Amino acid sequence: MSSPVVELKNVTKVIKGKKIIDDLSFTIEEGEVFGFLGPNGAGKTTTIRMMVGLMGISSGEILICGKNVKKEFEDALQNIGGIVENPELYKFLTGYQNLMQYARMVKGISKQKIDEVVEFVGLKDRIHDKVKTYSLGMRQRLGLAQSLLHDPKVMILDEPTNGLDPAGIREIRDHLKKLTKEKGMSVIVSSHLLSEMEMMCDRIAIIQNGRLVDIQKVHDYVQESKQKYFFEVEMKNIASLQTSGIDFEKVENGIEIEMEKDEVPNMIQLLIEKGIRIFEVKPISKTLEDRFIEVTTQGEKLHA
Amino acid sequence: MHKLIMNEWIKIFKRPGTFVMIGLLILSVLATGVLTKMYGNHPKTDHTQWEQQVSQEIKQDQKQISELPPTAVNVKKNLERKAAVNQYRLDHKIPPVNGTTGWTFINDSSGLISFAGLFTIIIAAGIVASEFGWGTVKLLLIRPIKRYKILFSKYMTVILFDLFMLAVLFVSAAVLGFALFGTGDGNNVHLAYSNGTVVEQNMLLYLIKTYLLTSIDVIMITTMAFMISAVFRNSSLAVGLSIFLLLMGGTVTSLIASRYDWAKYILFANTDLTQYFDGVPLVEGMTAGFSIVMLLIYFFVFQLLAFGIFTKRDVAA
Repeated sequence: MSSPVVELKNVTKVIKGKKIIDDLSFTIEEGEVFGFLGPNGAGKTTTIRMMVGLMGISSGEILICGKNVKKEFEDALQNIGGIVENPELYKFLTGYQNLMQYARMVKGISKQKIDEVVEFVGLKDRIHDKVKTYSLGMRQRLGLAQSLLHDPKVMILDEPTNGLDPAGIREIRDHLKKLTKEKGMSVIVSSHLLSEMEMMCDRIAIIQNGRLVDIQKVHDYVQESKQKYFFEVEMKNIASLQTSGIDFEKVENGIEIEMEKDEVPNMIQLLIEKGIRIFEVKPISKTLEDRFIEVTTQGEKLHA
Repeated sequence: MHKLIMNEWIKIFKRPGTFVMIGLLILSVLATGVLTKMYGNHPKTDHTQWEQQVSQEIKQDQKQISELPPTAVNVKKNLERKAAVNQYRLDHKIPPVNGTTGWTFINDSSGLISFAGLFTIIIAAGIVASEFGWGTVKLLLIRPIKRYKILFSKYMTVILFDLFMLAVLFVSAAVLGFALFGTGDGNNVHLAYSNGTVVEQNMLLYLIKTYLLTSIDVIMITTMAFMISAVFRNSSLAVGLSIFLLLMGGTVTSLIASRYDWAKYILFANTDLTQYFDGVPLVEGMTAGFSIVMLLIYFFVFQLLAFGIFTKRDVAA
């Protein structure tokens, strides 16, 4: 129903003979929050900079709303609002004067629009103060305001939560949610903070060494049909389990078994029949972090 | 485009350093004026007898011309010019300027143009490099505006700033000059000598022309500073190198010129175009046309480097 808002086709970036980004392809749909995850140096920032035209593309192409970033730079960038790393603004200007700078660079931004954006990010009281006097959180908000001035279809945020305190992070998250819900904007976020991504994103791409390792919906990452369960049991009758053909792992104070949820009552019954006393049964929820490490640590495959 | 230039202009004038520069420039004019007033010569010769003096000068000059060896072409030209202008004064009853007037003060103040140039160079050196230094270049370049337009607006802003500083210098020299020394005897014409005839020129236009001609080396070095700023993203390098060349370029070039002919291809051998109007060209055989071509070549090389590299560069900082 909706055409992709951002489309990367076989994007490669070579710097000094080294492939930084290797044949990257993916698409981002309208209204989704797309996370871009990877260890430091994986190529997240490079990819984002190619999308916004800060870096050249060695081969392949990037389309923003169908416009080629390389060939139709102005048309493509018209649809993008972005913050690349910490928003560096002109410290000797006031917040408002900063916004005016950016407003002058795009056609048809009214004073009303500026006020509206200022209101949205909640900087109304301090907008006429010099940016020098702003806290990092306020600068981050001004950076957000700057990127919203021209009503872009895509927001690109590179490490938006770097250096922010938990309250600031939460604020950014709330703003992003509002933007996607109310304005149907697509958001691309890069980060190495997994917990953050888990809360913010609909879909996550993991890249490593410039290659796309995995791309999945967040829910699929976290909730798989099979899951591990922890049974806190009395260890003395455990030996009888070994002969029954159940695949389990011994851990401290109990055992871990992987199975589907439906099987849990049967398993409990089985254990009781074997004379094993159970104190507690709980699912071990797999966090994104586990998945991330799983995917990025090559060679070590926990799942056969 | 005018909005981009406006942006740059605001960024320059919202920084206190700019006002310090303007203040220093006005202060230097003020100091020159006060010193000239206090220690300058105020000849009290009887002005009614200027005609005798002038005719005597003409006789001397003509005698000197006839005694010159044929090789001294330039000296001869100079003397001929002086004699012709003096003859014109006699014929049209235009007395020579006596002592300092507001007009001559403006003319003398043109020596401060390289001071104004110094400040323009500082602005030019910072206008691209600072954006990298502040980190603001990232937000600047993700606007839906092609990079060459942004760079061009920055260059235009630098040129406008140079003109602005010239205007500040000119106006403050004029205000101070007329306040301290008056307007002279009222015949405000400049007598120019070209192609063997003397022409009367409006003094104001003449002075403006002098200011602009003298600014050519400033504009060239400013362009170079701008290029270094855009290519190396380092304002200290751009300021240091440019000011060094502004101060030393001429001297070093004339040193080289005394031994080697290829000195005429050096930028600084060509920046002073007034050498062709009244003076001796640095290297024999240089003409105004040659210098203009050389200046244009340098100008385009600087711009090619600045635009070529700035528009292609990966912004990674």
